Amino acid sequence: MFELPSGAEIQSIISILKSGLGFFIPEIYLSILFMGLIILDLALKGRNKSGILGWATLIGLGGSFYFIAQQHAMQAGEHFFGMYVLDEYAIFFKYFFVASGMFAVVATLADRKFDAEVKSIGEYYALVVAMVIGMVMMAAASDLLMIFLAMELVSLSAYILSGYFKRDARSSEAALKYLVYGAVSSGLMLYGFSLIYGMTAETNILKISMELADHGYDPLVMILATLLIMAGFGYKIGAFPFHFWSPDVYEGAPTPITAYLSVASKAAGFALLLRFFYIAVPHGVSPYEDILGIDWLTLLVIMSVASMIYGNVVAIWQKNVKRLLAYSSIAHAGYLLLGVIVMDEIGTQAVLFYLLSYFLMNYAAFYVVVLISNRTGSETLDDYRGLGSKMPLAGAALTVFLISLVGLPPTVGFIGKLMIFSALLSKGALYIWLALIGVLTSVISLYYYMLIPLNMFLRESLEPNEKSLNPGFLAQLMMAVLMILTIWFGLFFEPLSEFARYSSAMFGLSLY
Amino acid sequence: MSNPTYTAIFYLFAAITVFSAAFVVFSRNVIYSAFSLLFTFFGIAALYVFLSADFIAVTQVVVYVGGILVLLLFGVMFTNNIMDTDLKTDVLHAIPGTFLFLGILAALLFTFYTTNGWMPSDTQLQGSVVERIGFETMSRYVLPFEMASILLLAALIGAAFLARYDNGGTNEH
Amino acid sequence: MGNSLNAWSDALAGFQPAGLPLGLLIIAAIPLVFIALYALTYGVYGERKISAFMQDRLGPMEVGKWGILQTLADILKLLQKEDIVPTSADKFLFVIGPGVLFVGSFLAFAVLPFSPAFIGANLNVGLFFAIGIVALEVVGILAAGWGSNNKWSLYGAVRSVAQIVSYEIPAAIALLCGAMMAGTLDMQQINILQSGTYGFAHFFLFQSPIAWLPFLIYFIASLAEVNRAPFDIPEAESELVAGYFTEYSGMKFAVIFLAEYGSMFMVSAIISIVFLGGWNSPLPNIGPIALNDMTTGPVWGAFWIISKGFFFIFVQMWLRWTLPRLRVDQLMYVCWKVLTPFAFVSFVLTAIWEIYVP
Repeated sequence: MFELPSGAEIQSIISILKSGLGFFIPEIYLSILFMGLIILDLALKGRNKSGILGWATLIGLGGSFYFIAQQHAMQAGEHFFGMYVLDEYAIFFKYFFVASGMFAVVATLADRKFDAEVKSIGEYYALVVAMVIGMVMMAAASDLLMIFLAMELVSLSAYILSGYFKRDARSSEAALKYLVYGAVSSGLMLYGFSLIYGMTAETNILKISMELADHGYDPLVMILATLLIMAGFGYKIGAFPFHFWSPDVYEGAPTPITAYLSVASKAAGFALLLRFFYIAVPHGVSPYEDILGIDWLTLLVIMSVASMIYGNVVAIWQKNVKRLLAYSSIAHAGYLLLGVIVMDEIGTQAVLFYLLSYFLMNYAAFYVVVLISNRTGSETLDDYRGLGSKMPLAGAALTVFLISLVGLPPTVGFIGKLMIFSALLSKGALYIWLALIGVLTSVISLYYYMLIPLNMFLRESLEPNEKSLNPGFLAQLMMAVLMILTIWFGLFFEPLSEFARYSSAMFGLSLY
Repeated sequence: MSNPTYTAIFYLFAAITVFSAAFVVFSRNVIYSAFSLLFTFFGIAALYVFLSADFIAVTQVVVYVGGILVLLLFGVMFTNNIMDTDLKTDVLHAIPGTFLFLGILAALLFTFYTTNGWMPSDTQLQGSVVERIGFETMSRYVLPFEMASILLLAALIGAAFLARYDNGGTNEH
Repeated sequence: MGNSLNAWSDALAGFQPAGLPLGLLIIAAIPLVFIALYALTYGVYGERKISAFMQDRLGPMEVGKWGILQTLADILKLLQKEDIVPTSADKFLFVIGPGVLFVGSFLAFAVLPFSPAFIGANLNVGLFFAIGIVALEVVGILAAGWGSNNKWSLYGAVRSVAQIVSYEIPAAIALLCGAMMAGTLDMQQINILQSGTYGFAHFFLFQSPIAWLPFLIYFIASLAEVNRAPFDIPEAESELVAGYFTEYSGMKFAVIFLAEYGSMFMVSAIISIVFLGGWNSPLPNIGPIALNDMTTGPVWGAFWIISKGFFFIFVQMWLRWTLPRLRVDQLMYVCWKVLTPFAFVSFVLTAIWEIYVP
């Protein structure tokens, strides 16, 4: 029979929970925002409802920056019995995910397709906020249980958001494919977790790493477990063998959600991947045991190379811009994995910086795609012909963002790739060939990215129509700011890279 | 658990679980597959009882039989011409699928039988676990518990959205 | 009393002549015999007689004195009937449906404490088990409805399942209020917590003013769970012939009926255990006249719980012949917009009461 613990023990539990609450304010705020939006949706009536809800979400998400900024002053540590970690690394991702949620809302407000397709927008914004909560928890979770719950929250919200255009068959197909792949990969991940739990009898990742270091482990089980867990994480980041969902989902989902998935969901996957593999899995001290010369790092190398080659090569044949960007996002997952492989502070810094740059350029590119499809109603490459003269600013901005995605100077994307490759090279000759593959595939990407400006500026429109297509003043301003930022951070990247370096401190990390 | 009666009952339930699960996969009749799932779920609930997880066993019955199986049956019954459809995919990767299945099975079995690094849990369960579950949920696992509530709320909202009749936008352009 | 708790069932379980676990079989058979007897005497006969009195008729009068042997004759007739399986029916599901249905309603009897000394399986999660095992009935109903290959059957089955699944939520939350007052899910323990010398005053229903709300909610929801009027749309005679058992005849029909009356007693027993003290005597000790002590004991316990159960069955029948039937949409309205919110309210209020008041 279970005996209730003594009063003193219960008091200590209550005090731990109470003290944990103080470190949890942004998440509580976001949860209240999530529920508040649902109630606001029910309370509001009238024509301007979707606009009001969108702005309320935007302001609400912006408000959370205040609470996140206060966390810098707090001591890094574990809370809620090791379920949840507060450190600079988690705070970085909190900023990142809240900002990406805001960007998704901005793109949604700009997207005209929502007016025509969607009757009720209330759930949409609530689910965007729910996804932010899930991703914030993914970056801060330090327990297998929390990791799984947070991933499921992100996935569930994403399934519904990607199928939000219910009458659009492609959108429904996207949601269904996403759901099926997601279910399988989280099932595999749970198998991996259960193997880890079997070896250590712990679910907290710090304790797992201690157990594994103390008692040793069977390399066969370890490789099997990491392989299965990588299925779950690889699905989230959209890396090569687990990428099958991404082109269809990116094409079918509403464009703001495509951008949201490609940036935020991927970043959440990387946040988790870095924390999990850097902390839970033993490494670094001695050449750790492996079987047949394969350890989990080799798995990452294979995934990374395959993603870079596959994503960039297949993108060449794409005729739809969203699909093209989907394949390019697979390739970017490969580049980001290169930074993970480095396994030190420089690598983490490079990954964080690359995520920041990817945030800027990818969101901006999708924003322009939304604006263009508002005007032309299409996302195929052929319909971009001659758009350069009709929407000059949009054309110029998109070109800048694509140059940044390729990784050419003077843009922020160049600095991101530079940091990844230099981090690789700092590890010595071992990884030169990886960096070489990275550079070569970037050259391939130049071809397909430049197809878009080629169509816009150098090819004549199929149906000559001299009318210029003005996307509106606010959108023009937004594009201009994003374009300037992309170039500005390409030239003066010091603050961003400092921020990334400062944020690479993970709690409980003995690696560096 | 060395009692031969226990062992016999355990293998009985294990066999029910495995065979009904196999029937779910191999049956051509989707309704039979769904009903066969009933026995799989009950077999699994019985295996939970053997792990002295009585609460989990009943939860398994409530959630899977009362929720998921009924949902599945409703889905099948409300789909037109489901009995006429041949349950086969167009693309059958039989050979790679078999290899993958056998490979994973071999790897898992090999791992389970050759590894002796499994860590026994420090709490050996005796009798019922329901009080302990209640206490732990409200103390150590309170954060995942609250997290699950947000997850379920999001799922509920999404389900309500997807199920709602929606005949288009408010202001057509 | 604590020592005598479960004494009979433990003794029976230990009864193993020649190494055969015969006692376990007897324990399992007791509820079966009970259901059969009660369904014969009180269920079918009682229902017919009560309905007759309410409609100012006489009811069955021919077979035996006051028609008391009528149901026995009916059973003999049903046993002799040919076992008909419609040609276009799905034979496997058609046959297995009543079986699964009966097992589902019968399994819950395992955790019902019939007296202070007898309970089939004294589970620590007994109440949860009793709520959860209803799921099996649902599958049985669906099998019967689909296997009949008849549109009335299918409509009836789908309506019935939708109704049971929906009303499980307010019912479970209402019972949770009772479990919260008891602090346990163990059925015997819930009963012991309600015993005392003041009789009915110790029952949970009279322990807190809020308990009336979950009590009423559970009673209404339990009517829907066992497909009784005014929630009997699954077998609405005027629309669906007989609902999911339209095609059944002979012994299979009898099995379905046994299952129905079994569930009726099951929900009545659960409501009396959780809110009305189960096998506890409602009579208080009045000064020197120790009525409560006189009417407490294993046999008295069985008497009290069965009479409390029968009382609620009587109320169910009374309602059946009094209230008109609800429409499908009204049914769902009552469940989701009335009962469920009130169940949540009562849940919160009970929690507040339990923490702050006593």
